[in-house]
Amino acid sequence: MDYKAPLETYTGKVAEVVIGKGDKAIKIGGESVLPFHFFEGTIANRPRLALEMLDAEPEGWAQWLIAPYKDVTKDPAAWAKKALGYGADLVMLRLVSTDPGGANAPADKAAAAVKQVAAAISTPLVVYGCGDENKDIEVLTKVAEACSGEGLLLGPVVKENYEPISKAAIEHGHSIVAQSPLDINLEKELNVKLLKSMPANRIVIDPLSSALGYGMEYSFTIMERTKHIGVMFGDNTMQMPIIADLGAECWKTKQAKESEKQGLLWESITALSLLLAGANLLVMRHPETCKLMKEAIEGKI
Amino acid sequence: MVLIGESIHIIAQEVNDAVKERNPKVILDLAKAQAQAGADYIDVNLGPAKRDPEEMPKWLAETIQQVADLPLSIDTLNPVAMEAGLKACKKRPLLNSASGRTDSKELMLPLAKKYNTDVVISVLTDKGCPPDVDSRIESIMDTVAIANEMGIPNEDIWVDPIILPVSADQKQVWEAVEFIGMLQDLLPGVKSTIGLSNVSNGTPEELRGILNRTYMVMLGRRGLYSAIADVLDEELVKLNKGELPKIVDLIYKTMDGEAPDLGSLTKKEQDYVKTAKVLMGETLYSHAWLES
Repeated sequence: MDYKAPLETYTGKVAEVVIGKGDKAIKIGGESVLPFHFFEGTIANRPRLALEMLDAEPEGWAQWLIAPYKDVTKDPAAWAKKALGYGADLVMLRLVSTDPGGANAPADKAAAAVKQVAAAISTPLVVYGCGDENKDIEVLTKVAEACSGEGLLLGPVVKENYEPISKAAIEHGHSIVAQSPLDINLEKELNVKLLKSMPANRIVIDPLSSALGYGMEYSFTIMERTKHIGVMFGDNTMQMPIIADLGAECWKTKQAKESEKQGLLWESITALSLLLAGANLLVMRHPETCKLMKEAIEGKI
Repeated sequence: MVLIGESIHIIAQEVNDAVKERNPKVILDLAKAQAQAGADYIDVNLGPAKRDPEEMPKWLAETIQQVADLPLSIDTLNPVAMEAGLKACKKRPLLNSASGRTDSKELMLPLAKKYNTDVVISVLTDKGCPPDVDSRIESIMDTVAIANEMGIPNEDIWVDPIILPVSADQKQVWEAVEFIGMLQDLLPGVKSTIGLSNVSNGTPEELRGILNRTYMVMLGRRGLYSAIADVLDEELVKLNKGELPKIVDLIYKTMDGEAPDLGSLTKKEQDYVKTAKVLMGETLYSHAWLES
């Protein structure tokens, strides 16, 4: 008798979010099975890989992390091009300069920098504010306006500031990243609130991505459960693609700062684990990790 | 279901102040209000009662009994305070609670025997709260056997499965329902109780009631004998008296996987169906569970 492997049937489908516009656009999500379960159904889009860059010169980065970008860290547009040259699908621009605890650059200036980067590259752009919930309102609404129609992915949007930022995103044709603090119940709550004013295909979930040895298993479990609940149990408030913003977390570990080899291992293992958990978009810092993940996704390793 | 009014709780600031100042007003008001609302017992939560384990429980029990002709549930982990409280009871009290913890077996169970009380026995052990149904069963079988050996019959034992907030651990909420459903087969004749409001701990205040009420109906269907609950919640008392049969029926249907289409229901009915699904673990909990 022939052996037939048991197959799971699924009731839900992850929304397909489009980042960018026209020929530049990239799609994430859209799968109706668990991650890498090609044998059970359709995975519309492979996971996408982003390299992170900053709008100001990096502080506290290890020399081996700066090395790949050494001539371009003063020039965001050049940095973005360099990152794409390393094979990233897209770029994630973090507006660290706007941090009130740091340079506290005005929203206008940050928005101009985003516009400049967007014009310089041929791929879509993910834009993260500095993470200060009040300042991010100012900055991200300004960015949304300045880059109207570019189809940016803007984040992070949190429980405390989702209303003004999502409103600006809808008005100017962008998508948003809904971020919750490693808590699946709070993740769902924010999704429910957002879904009242925008469709699932404009939302990407960021459950926070902790590094290997620093709580990665929490991030893994939450991503895995999000997919279970959305795809297997058909909960339509949990059917958005997931972004794993892991590079910064990995490179701030003691291990990554001690040696380049450890840093690459740390980032790669974290990235691969979160891919398996269901991340649809990875944000990494080192081009080598990006290259390795590409090979992993293409089945070469 | 037998309802034990939970409002006289040492953690409540006004109760704490009243006890410290020996000011009877707040206590009398709460006792009266709960008795009028339909409580069958009044819980007297003494907390650890470290400073004054003799006089305080006595004063509190006597004060309550001035206005409420009801049996008391003396609620503390301190055996000295427990004994002082039990001594002051006019009616046959409920010792709340003993557990599978070594100190509890050694100090609380003998008090239940000595004062011929009903006794709540929870599944807690020296290791804490058992993580699943099987370990809850293991714990309770063990402790009840010890109680039986001391001469406490099953009929005097109120088993407490210990429930955790749905916002903290959704899975075990339904497991407690299953546990209650199995209890009569495991320990024929035992009674049961739970700290009902704990299921909604951590949930926004205005949304706690519907979780408590829905959970009470679900547990009641599986045979739960009593609950320590907010009897000042009128709808909860009405549900318990069978005055809202349509809601009860709706919750039962949801438990059986036969919930009607939400579109055919009123907002209030929809809320009960959604809440039942959350408590069953069918829908992932979030503070916004009624909004989607």
